[in-house]
Amino acid sequence: MFAELMEMFRGNAVEIPILQPIIDALMGIPLVNFVVSFLLWKPLFAILFAPGLAALMVAMLFIIWFERKVTARVQWRYGPLEISRSLGGLIQPLADGMRYLFQEVIVHREAHKPLFIQLPLLSFIPVLLPFLFIPAGTIYAIRTPYALPLIVALISLVPMLIVLIGWASNSKYAYLGSMREVFMYFGYEVALIVVVMAMVLMYGSADLIEIVEKQKSLPGILFNPIACIAFFMVTAMATSRFPFEIPEADQEVVFGPFIEYTGIMFGIVMTLGYEKLYLLSLLFSILFLGGWNGPTIAILGDLSPALWLFLKTVVLMMMFVFLRTVYPRFRLDQAIKFGWTTLLSLSVISLAVAAVIRLVGWL
Amino acid sequence: MKEMSIDVPVEPPAEFKSLFIPIPPEYVEDAYKKDEFMILVGPQHGGSGHMRIIVRLKGDVIVDALPDPGYVHRGMEKLAENKLYIQNIPLLERPAIMDCANYNLGYVRAIEQMLDIEVPERAKYIRTILAELCRVGTHLYDAGILAIFLGHSTGFMWPFAMRELICEALMKVSGARVTASYIIPGGVRRDVSKSVLEYIREVTFFIEKKAKDFEKVFIKNPVTIARMKDVGVLTKKDAIRLGVVGPFLRATGVEYDVRAIEPYDAYDQLDWDVVTADDGDSYSRFLVRVEEISQSLRIIRQAINRLRTMPEGKVISEDLLGKIKDKEKASRDIKGNFYRIFGRLTLPAGEVTTLTEASRGTLLYTLVSDGESTSPYRLRIVTPGWLYLKGFMESLKGSRLADLQAIYGSFGYFPPEADR
Repeated sequence: MFAELMEMFRGNAVEIPILQPIIDALMGIPLVNFVVSFLLWKPLFAILFAPGLAALMVAMLFIIWFERKVTARVQWRYGPLEISRSLGGLIQPLADGMRYLFQEVIVHREAHKPLFIQLPLLSFIPVLLPFLFIPAGTIYAIRTPYALPLIVALISLVPMLIVLIGWASNSKYAYLGSMREVFMYFGYEVALIVVVMAMVLMYGSADLIEIVEKQKSLPGILFNPIACIAFFMVTAMATSRFPFEIPEADQEVVFGPFIEYTGIMFGIVMTLGYEKLYLLSLLFSILFLGGWNGPTIAILGDLSPALWLFLKTVVLMMMFVFLRTVYPRFRLDQAIKFGWTTLLSLSVISLAVAAVIRLVGWL
Repeated sequence: MKEMSIDVPVEPPAEFKSLFIPIPPEYVEDAYKKDEFMILVGPQHGGSGHMRIIVRLKGDVIVDALPDPGYVHRGMEKLAENKLYIQNIPLLERPAIMDCANYNLGYVRAIEQMLDIEVPERAKYIRTILAELCRVGTHLYDAGILAIFLGHSTGFMWPFAMRELICEALMKVSGARVTASYIIPGGVRRDVSKSVLEYIREVTFFIEKKAKDFEKVFIKNPVTIARMKDVGVLTKKDAIRLGVVGPFLRATGVEYDVRAIEPYDAYDQLDWDVVTADDGDSYSRFLVRVEEISQSLRIIRQAINRLRTMPEGKVISEDLLGKIKDKEKASRDIKGNFYRIFGRLTLPAGEVTTLTEASRGTLLYTLVSDGESTSPYRLRIVTPGWLYLKGFMESLKGSRLADLQAIYGSFGYFPPEADR
């Protein structure tokens, strides 16, 4: 059975020429070779490394540092610096994470204890499951024609978890924050789905690999820029970026649903927004920026497209976090109005544009 | 839209009984019977100062707002009765330390009026410069707080960085970054040198330049306008009825500025405008203060120009110097003679009231002297914060809960100032 499994793993393994000598050396050791080939098995590699967990963690650590640093530079400050001075404080988020780990986790008396503790951990499910369906070049776990609807459905689960977290906290401001999250959810969700439908209509497929194939010559942003604008704003709204940082508004509802969390629990729920941002940016770069299309770097092999996808995603995330320095925050009713008027009409227009492109047959 | 009511018996929350809330319990019960509820904003809240606002809400809309100030009450009036007249100067700038010169000015002018002494011309201009520097500093401070209340962190950092230069200028003039204690009865502590005046002049140009960037990023930001336009409207009638003062009164269209109506110091010799607006909403309250910054910079530059042509020295009134031998030196710098002049200062019996236009509005000092003591018999301070608190609460009514911070910031309410 071992041999059969090995065969299966080896048959669908990630090829990385630059690491080949190391892999070959490890293959000589019994048992280790099984682990290595298991890790290099494409479905697992997609979830664990790129575009999955490891890439997510790297992107998140970088983007939290970048957000703090760029905001500080705009505001005539230094930003994170003391930890790893030579790197400009690059590992500050890591240090913060360590600090969270050693802090006491307080569960207050009013909380619904089981839910309060398990929900932050459960929140990883809707964040990590979409990686099953997001390919990076040849690296993918499951290829299905329903990939896009599945991803959107899974991402839509995140607000549910935030609302549950607020409910389990059982405190006034957490309640206000989760209500705001619910309202925001209603504000952007329809527009998000309509935009995604427009792109599916335009490409004639919901299979992400096929979508990227179709953008070989020109990226999708040139065909349907309105959908791109709408998706950008939806992403800002869905991930509580400024100017829509309404559910967590610390001056108004003091971190909203997450008000009662401390220690590593707070660390986990705080990153929820960034994880969602990573996912939506991945979708953005696949739908509009040509995904992993880019000059092939021979030495990286299968990792080359994954790297292009990662770079595009991170640049997008940088654009999103930069909004913090420019915008104050909308009021809840203004944001919902924005969602149901501007965003919805933009997305409907983009649907029309997609239909025209489909009918003319440009793609 | 038709309103639906759900008849669910709701108990008023226990914290209204367990905490000391200065409102009758019937009021709370009444609110909860009427399908409304109450929440406490502050005193430990990211969007409140050291004060509590008891907000009565119907859904998301504020029906009534009751202030619960007094968390930073330090008893300035009583403390002032136990100190020498001169020792009160550092005390009385504590209500609003960023506005120190204006707070000193009111008190010092009360003493001067009682002693009936005239301040040298040069000292008048220096006082004016200092008062206007503090006004710019306070308005920048308030703009920063407003920006962070709206979630705009860049708009928070920039005014504070600009204010840093004003702190630096105050330090060069007086030696202290915020609590200058520089203005004394009869003049100012010491003369200001030419290089410091040039520095202050440069600061005014720098702030003007940076204020343009700030305008682009925060003031003219569409989201800022959306958040503040037509929010927390205070009508002209209400503003007059509730005794709102300062820029917040001027934002409703009333042209009232103590500097223009009862000019003190050098204000009547300088060319400047009283800034007014018509809307009376949060945005115009903010814009009035932004415009006042540029007016203040204008005043400072004019005063510096006058000071350049004036002979240096003589910043303390000769009437006070009395038996001091080297009058020439003492009138240039009070150092060394301070307690000989002011240590046993007693005022003639009587009562004097002065009005000063502090940054946030009219500041009133009433000084009562019994004629034989070296400390005030009674000192009444009415700070602008206290005067516009009612108007602030009035303007909250009818807004949304999320607007509370925008309105709070637009008033620049500063609890230590109001509580004294």
